[in-house]
Formats: sequence, structure tokens, C-alpha cells
Amino acid sequence: MTVDADGAVAAPRGSGGLDRPPGPRTETIQLLTPEGERVEHPDYPLELTDGEVKDLYRDLVLVRRIDTEAIALQRQGELGIWASLLGQEAAQVGSGRALGPRDMAFPTYREHGVAWCRGLDPIRLLELFRGVSHGGWDPAAYRFHLYTIVIGAQTLHATGYAMGIQRDGAVGEDGEAVIVYFGDGATSQGDVNEAFIWASVFNAPVVFFCQNNQWAISEPLERQSRIPLYQRASGFGFPGVRVDGNDVLACLAVTRKAMQAAREGQGPTLIEAFTYRMGAHTTTDDPTRYRLASELEAWKLKDPIERVKAYLVRTGAAGASFLEEVDAEADELGSRVRQACLEMPDPQPLAIFENVYAEPHTLLDTEREQYAAYLDSFTGEEVR
Amino acid sequence: MTESVTTQRREFRLPDVGEGLTEADIVSWRVKPGDTVTVNQIIVDIETAKAIVELPSPYAGVVADLLVAEGQTVDVGTPIIAVDVPAPAGSGPATAPPRAGSPAPAPADPDRTDPAAIAAAGPRPSSEDLIPQVPPTEERQAVLVGYGVKAAATTRRQRKAPAGAGSVADPGISPGRANGVAGVHASVLAKPPVRKLARELGVDLGGLAGTGPGGSITRDDVQQAAEGLILQVAAAPAGLREERIPIRGIRKHTAAAVTESARAPHVTEFLQVDVDATVEAVRRLRELPEFAGVRVSPLVLVARALLIAVARHPMINSTWDEDAQEIVVRHYVNLGIAAATDRGLIVPTIKGAHGLGLPELARALASLAETARAGKASPADLSGGTITITNVGVFGVDAGTPIITPPEAAILAFGQIKDAPWVVDGQLAVRKVTTLSLSFDHRIVDGDLGSAVLRDIGAMLHDPTVMLAWG
Amino acid sequence: MTVMTLSKALNAGLRKALEDDPRVLVMGEDVGKLGGVFRVTDGLQKDFGETRVVDTPLAESAIIGTAIGLALRGYRPVCEIQLDGFVFPAFDQIVSQLAKMRLRSLGHVTMPVTIRIPCGGGIGAVEHHSESPEALFAHTAGLRVVACANSTDAYAMIQQSIRCDDPVIFFEPKRRYWDKAEVDPAAGLGAALPMDRARIVLDGTDVTLLCYGPMVRTCVESAVAARAEGRSIEVIDLRSLSPLDLETICGSVRHTGRCVVAHEAPVTGGLGAEIAARITQECFYQLESPVLRVGGFSTPYPPSRLEDHYLPDLDRVLDAVDRTFTV
Repeated sequence: MTVDADGAVAAPRGSGGLDRPPGPRTETIQLLTPEGERVEHPDYPLELTDGEVKDLYRDLVLVRRIDTEAIALQRQGELGIWASLLGQEAAQVGSGRALGPRDMAFPTYREHGVAWCRGLDPIRLLELFRGVSHGGWDPAAYRFHLYTIVIGAQTLHATGYAMGIQRDGAVGEDGEAVIVYFGDGATSQGDVNEAFIWASVFNAPVVFFCQNNQWAISEPLERQSRIPLYQRASGFGFPGVRVDGNDVLACLAVTRKAMQAAREGQGPTLIEAFTYRMGAHTTTDDPTRYRLASELEAWKLKDPIERVKAYLVRTGAAGASFLEEVDAEADELGSRVRQACLEMPDPQPLAIFENVYAEPHTLLDTEREQYAAYLDSFTGEEVR
Repeated sequence: MTESVTTQRREFRLPDVGEGLTEADIVSWRVKPGDTVTVNQIIVDIETAKAIVELPSPYAGVVADLLVAEGQTVDVGTPIIAVDVPAPAGSGPATAPPRAGSPAPAPADPDRTDPAAIAAAGPRPSSEDLIPQVPPTEERQAVLVGYGVKAAATTRRQRKAPAGAGSVADPGISPGRANGVAGVHASVLAKPPVRKLARELGVDLGGLAGTGPGGSITRDDVQQAAEGLILQVAAAPAGLREERIPIRGIRKHTAAAVTESARAPHVTEFLQVDVDATVEAVRRLRELPEFAGVRVSPLVLVARALLIAVARHPMINSTWDEDAQEIVVRHYVNLGIAAATDRGLIVPTIKGAHGLGLPELARALASLAETARAGKASPADLSGGTITITNVGVFGVDAGTPIITPPEAAILAFGQIKDAPWVVDGQLAVRKVTTLSLSFDHRIVDGDLGSAVLRDIGAMLHDPTVMLAWG
Repeated sequence: MTVMTLSKALNAGLRKALEDDPRVLVMGEDVGKLGGVFRVTDGLQKDFGETRVVDTPLAESAIIGTAIGLALRGYRPVCEIQLDGFVFPAFDQIVSQLAKMRLRSLGHVTMPVTIRIPCGGGIGAVEHHSESPEALFAHTAGLRVVACANSTDAYAMIQQSIRCDDPVIFFEPKRRYWDKAEVDPAAGLGAALPMDRARIVLDGTDVTLLCYGPMVRTCVESAVAARAEGRSIEVIDLRSLSPLDLETICGSVRHTGRCVVAHEAPVTGGLGAEIAARITQECFYQLESPVLRVGGFSTPYPPSRLEDHYLPDLDRVLDAVDRTFTV
């Protein structure tokens, strides 16, 4: 980090991280290079069939397609906002596919790839961004909690849930564990640090999965930490590991191991998935105001999908017809998402009063009656 | 065999891309009329405050028309491109219905010739300085997050019934159940300012029928009640056999008071008195500087005589407390003076009359008469009396059987002072004579006490120097 | 029947709740080994174990945040915030997460979390130990807010709060922790007054005096003193601050025609303002005078040497009562 005469803080050149020569304690786990070559790591053995890699490829392509369709819908005025995961597909699919069926995931608001892995129809995600509900799905049914917009708040919910798993006696080889997602910016929040403390002192079965996409809106990583993020864990007394966030195989392997450790009662792990936010923070953001185009170009060379495609083609595991099939499926998915969005009904006005309390509430009941009568007092159609 | 494909024209309006913009520049078109476009194909680059945003097409079809030119600045909501899309059989209207979030009508550009857009334009504000220039209804102001701020409507939607007539948008003003507690607040529908007015005017709300919403009593109702009880009835219009006057206000109050008073067993005693000396004394007092500017009348000396009699016979100045089963003797006098006003009979009181010197008593009487005539007696003035004087002489009669002001024990009436034949030292003479009538509550005051009081007053008015000895 | 201090009554109620439902947990700073700084959780960890009665790290936001996670897992956490002035680090988790979770999930998620907070002043303490933040929570939709005033109510209300499937902020009047009253541990909750109802503590005819928490005793004492002057005051313990029991409140004011609201919290923007507005709206025609409020001044809570001037005492309460007659 350098500070110039005006006090401006500049990121070091080549802040892509992967180009930086590893320091004494800095290591990034990688099992598939950007060029699509398979590498081994002694701590993370991974055996996958061709079919399994092709499935991962399909996941990555479909997840990206959902994302690009949603951006287009926002640009066409059909969604109020969208938080794009462009560039982070591997971190989300890799970790998402590492989860057992009874594991529980706590996302932020960008984990559309994890939602995909948990079986949540992408259409369900649209409600929030379109303004029809604040989420609305049943977390227990999908083992995927609602999106949390307050930065880092979900890390505490996840830790508490993990403490509940302990009390249910569900820790063990066959047990359950929790994964919670958050970004590099969130690691500065008090709640995230409190969650680290609780998870460590109570040895809770929770994996902290930080997608370090280098940017918190316009604030660079250097504004959140002086040290690599995965090293923060040691301050709290539990292991941290950095993984190439654009490498779906590494993310899968590292997350599997961490989740198993948590499940078996070894407590929390901090996984830092080193990736890049290729798009804007959300559709209302303009990254050209604070990022260099050259940085974006450098990361394009590390695209998570391209490397898998290269691997499949080079090894002969997949041919042109498979790739075309996947593209066609993506088009169809995009079309379905679009259609569902355009057809999504608005909630009825009196829905405002529903689902606020579990038990009868005199005041709210009265308000609802009065508002219903008020709406009924107009002659014409409701304009709004 | 070829099918003819029908198409319909769809327009894409410049959306709120959430950059905090209200307008954008068209930088470059990526398509031209006649081109086939697919959904999400980038059709145009727009510039928003130094950032260029690509817009994807929402439609698949053939470009019919580019509606704005490169370099043009357009407002959010302006149609920028028209695309002919294949129409499904039995297709609906040409433009998609407005939906929450989809930007809807009118451009701000007055040169726009698109009739649909002009027809959809909202009302122009008449006073341009006062109302900020915002796009009409349904348009949203773009902000950083979300769809943006929606411009509010500038006209009201039509209601079925006027608000307020059973309006339930807000929790209603519910009159509340009468609950049997005798307090006025439990059953009178009158707002606090109206109640205050009623108190000032001496109007009893309990008997009024209100003409306001929900039967509530209005200011006008109170005003009318206060003014409407003139005892004289105007000359009957021809042909009218009966006239009905609502029982309201002071009339009602008086009726209630005398009815209640009737519960006390009244005895009235009379005494005729030669008051030559009093008349002379009044004349002499008027000349004294202490009484300059004050109206001195025989009433002053009658009042003074009564006060002295009360001091000598305190029991006459008491009240019967049924609940406590006690007679409460008051050792102070709040002297009530019955006054006939054009609204009816009222009894304002002079508080602490027993402690007033003669000049002060005179002033108090004068001021009290003035206030009563002007209708400005306050509730405090009209309450708390301990004994009353009523001057029936002003009506041109000699005596009466006055009704006690509840909850007092006695009332003194005195009649006109007139020349009458009188026996003085065995000879007929002409004297100024008046009749005193004292009614008293026989539960408290027996005939001997009542008579004693009457005799004492008579003695003092016959010879005012006796007041010097007794006062 | 046993005579118990309010602290002991809460302890007994918590014990009963822990016995009745294995999913109930108690968590907070110093609640386990120490039994709580006010001894409200005394003995519970010994009998129910460290897993169910948890001594937490010193992190209020996490106390509530993890409770939310536990509730998602099906537990019924009872959190303790050690003192009123320390609830603010947890405010975001309470307001942004706990209160909104049910609506966010369109009813799929239930948050049966109880948050116990000792509140109020009059104990001669330093800063942050004498706050009355109830209005902030009453203003947050999605929460229920209650305040107990005596041992009898405390015993029942803490159990009702824990059983309630909605999040409940449970205020305990710390200066009344040592007040004694009768508690019947055998009485079931079925007979207890519902959690969302107010209680008429003293009947009266001349004026309605509304209060809650620590002020209830002060108001009862004021009413008794006023009797000697021939004034009949109806004292109502609100108990439920959100939602308010408007039926009981307005029913009383319609009888008396006059109302005073007394609380320790500052008058400006306090709960009394909401109550006064509601009463004025519902009982306009029965009011002989405006609803008056008596409470703290528009200042931060003062140092303890001045707190007797800040907290409404018997004289200030009766002064307000008098003023409802002179307007």
C-alpha cells in the first residue's frame, strides 16, 4: 500500500493477488489454473468424474445466465435493482455443491449461485429485487436462509443456528454444519467479529465463507484490512485458508473439508475465496468511477467458466455438442426467468398487514379493517 | 401455403437504470430500422453522467423506428425505439399496461408529436413557481437504490361519500357509551371549546339537542340557546293559536332550580315598614364623597340590614346537607341579588359581602347589576351564594312569596317604596312604606327565628341608626 | 401462596419455563455462574446446565443475533441485556432482524425470542444504568413490549412472554426488584391476565392515572395520599406497552373524564405522547381537560444526586392530577 503526497491511498500494482509472490504464510489453494490445467494440492485431494466436472460446468453457465438475464430485466425497468455475481460463480457453485443435504446456508444478498445449488428456483429471488416481497421463501425447506441486506448480520444468525445444532446433538461424522457467506467489506463489521468470537469460544459447527471480491462498493480491500483476510481467523483462534475463488474445484475441495471439520466438532474455519467482482456492486453502481479498466481486463483472463471449458475440451471430457446443449439450456432458463418476472403479480394492498405477528394483534387488526374500508370508499379503479 | 404474420408495435421507454438519473443522452444506436433484434440484444448506448450504459432490447422483432436521435437528451420514460413484434392470435392492446415500476407516460418535450404520449400527459401545474417540475403521475424520480421516487398525484381520487361522514380512514371519533354516571362528560356530545362557551353563557348543555355531526352540540346551538329565551313572546302572527317555545338554556336552568328548591318546605312572613328614614339616609349618603360616582339606592341599605341580621342570627345563613345529615352554618355571606335579564332570571353573587364596608357594598351592587344586564356573569359569579335578596319592587308590586335559591335557607324580597297612609303617634300621616317578605326553609328555620330576622331588618330600615348599634 | 421479591418471582417464572419446555434457553452476560447481576437467574445454571443457561461473551449484538439463529433452529431463547443503557449495540439486530424476520419470510419463520431488560432509575447509579428506552421499541413494528410492575405479574408475564411466538421485549423495573408481593406458583397461566391487557390496580372516579413498570408503585402511593384530600384516582398498570390495551384505557377515561400518564422516560416523544393522542382521538367528548403527561425532562438522565428531581415522585404526579382540574 502506498500513500502519495495528497494522502491518497493506492493499491499496489498487480493487486490481483495471484501474481504476488507468496509470502511466508500466504498461500492460495488452487486445483485448476486459469488455463484449465489440473494441479494437485496435498491437503486437498480431489477425485471427480468427468460427469461431475460437466455438472459443475453446467451449474456455472446457468448461474451466470440467470445473472445476466436479471441485469437486462433491471435495465428494462422490470426489476428495481439487481446485485450481480458476475465473476463469482465458481466461489458460489464450488462451495454450494460442497454442502450436505442437511447443512444450512446463510447468504448475503448476492448468493444466487448458492441458491441454485440449494434447489431454490431463481424466480423466487426475483420477488425481492422486484419489490414484491422481502424474500418470502421458507429457509427450512431449502436449508437456505433469506437474503440479509444489513452487512454481516447473518454471521450471528448462522453462529446461533450452529449453536442450536450443538444442542440438538447433531454434531458428528454424520452431523450437520452451517456455512455463512459474507464479503470482504463485511469483515470490518462488529457483528462479523462478534460471530468469530462466539464461534470460536463455543466451538460452533460453522464455516465462515468470505467471498473477497476486492471491492465493497467503491472501497478497496486495503480499506478493510492490512493483512490477508484469511489470516484474521488466527487472531480468533481458528484456522483460516485462502482459496482461488475463481477455481470451482478448489472451492469445492476446501469447503468440503471445512464443512466436514465443522460437522465433526472441530469448530469453525474461515475460508477466503479470492475472487473479483466483475460487475458493479449493484445495477445502481457505476464502477468506472473508481476502478481501472486494466484491472477488469486482468481478471477476465481468470474467468471461472472459461477455465473449466478449457479443461473439458482439452481432456476430451466434453465436445461441442455438450457445450451447445448447455448454452441452449441457459437460453431457455433465461427465457423462463424473463417470463416469470414479467408475469409476476403485485401483492394485494392488504398484504401489508399480513405476516407481521404470529399471534393476534389488536391494533394491527383494527388498522387493517380501517384501511380496507378506506380503500373501499373510492369510486373508481385503484390507480396505484 | 404461407401464413401472414400480424405484428404489433411495441415501444421501449427509456428506463430508470438506477444511476440517479432523470435523463440520459443517446450516444449511439446499435441498430437501425429494418434490423431484426432479439431479446436482450444491445440496441443503444446511453450516457449517464460520464458513464455509458448499454440497454438491452426487451423485444424480439424488427426495428420499426428509432424515436430519438443520437446526441439527443431524453427524460426517463420517453419512448426511444419502436419494434414490430409478432402478435399472438387475439392479442391485447398495443402497449403493455402500466405496472408498478415500469415507467409510464408522457415526455416533457413539448415537441413530441406522439398523440398517445400527449394524451397521457398529466395536468400542467398552473403556478409554475410553486410546484416543482416533476414528470406526471406514475413517473419515478431515479435515485441510487431501487426504482426511484414516485411523483405524487396532484389531484384527488373520487370518494363515494364525503370524508367525515362515517369516514373510517382514521380511527373514528366515537361518542362513547353513556354509562349511568351522572357526570356531564359521560353523556354530552360537545367539544371542549363549545363546553367552555356554554359555561360562560350559563347554558346547560344537558338539555340541548345538538345539530352537529353525530348529534353533537355546536357553537351555534349554544349561542341560540343563550339568546333564544326571551320571556316576552312577540305578537302572535295572525291565525296562530299556539306557539311552542323549546325549553332551553336559562329558562330550563331556572325551572330546574326552583323545582329543586320546592323540596324545601317554604314559609313566608311579611312585614310592612315605614322607611322614611331610609329614604332620607340614602339621599344623605349620595352627597358624601365616599359614594361619589356610585349608584346608591335603598337596596344598599336593605342589603346592609340583611347582612347585620345574618350576623345576629347566623342560622338563617345555612344549608341543609341531606347526604351528611348536617346543617352547615356558613360564617361568611355570599350575597345573591336576583336579577331579571332579557334571557331570564339569574342570581349573581357578591362574594364575602359580610366583610364589605358600605361604599364597597354599593359598588359591588352596581357592578353586579351592570354585569348581569350585559349578560357577562360568569359561572363563578352565579354560584356559591349563601342568602339572596330579590327586589320585586322594580316590577311595581308590594310583596311576594319568593322561592329560596337552592341550597340556601332563606330569601328576602322587598317591594316598591310608595307613599301610604300610616299611623304616627296616633295620627294619620303619609309615609314611605315598603313590604318585606322573608321566605325560609322550615327544616332549618322555625317561625321564631324567621320572625326575629324579619323584625330586625324592619327595625334597621325604619331607623338606620340601629345599624350603627348592631353592625 | 408465597411472598416473593420481584427478582425471585422472575427467577421462579424462568425456572418454570425451563422446566416446561426443553427448547427454552437462557443467555446473557453473567447469567450462569453469577446468577445475574440482579440475581434474577440465580441457581438456574446449576440445575439446568451450561448448555441451557449460557454465560455469553461480552457482545450484546451477538447475544440477540445468535438468539435469532437459535430460534431459526427451533429454540426459544430468553436473552438478558444486563442493563437498559447497554441495549443499544443490539438495537440493529432487534430492529432490523428480529422484528422483521417474520415478514421477510412471509410467515414461514417464527421468532419466539424474549429479551429481558432491567430498566429505570432511582438506584443511585452511574450513567447508562437508569434508562427507559421503551418508546424506541414500542415504535418498532414486529415487536411486542411489556413491563411488569410487581412480583405477581412478573411471575406470570415472564412465562407468557416466553410462550409467545412473537419477539417480546420484557422490561423489568430494577428499583422494584426487591419489592415483595404474593405469588402463587401453583396457579396456572390459564387464569392469568393476558399479556396484552392492562390492569386496573385501584378503582377511582375523578381521574385516570396511567403508568407502568417502576412508576406503578409511585402512582398507587400518590392515589392513596390523594384520598385524604377527597380525590378519587383510578390507577391503571398498562403492562402491555405495545400493543396498548386501549379498551381498558379508554373505558376508564370515559368514566372519569380526566387522565394523567406517568413514566420515567422523558416526556418528549415518550409513550405518554402516543397514549395521549389515542385517548384524545377516542374519548374527545368525554374529556374535561387535556391528557397530561408527567415524566423525565428533555435531558440525558442526570447524575444520581439529581435524580430525585428528574424522576416523577408523588408530588409531581399529584401536581399533574391537580392541573387536570384547573384547566
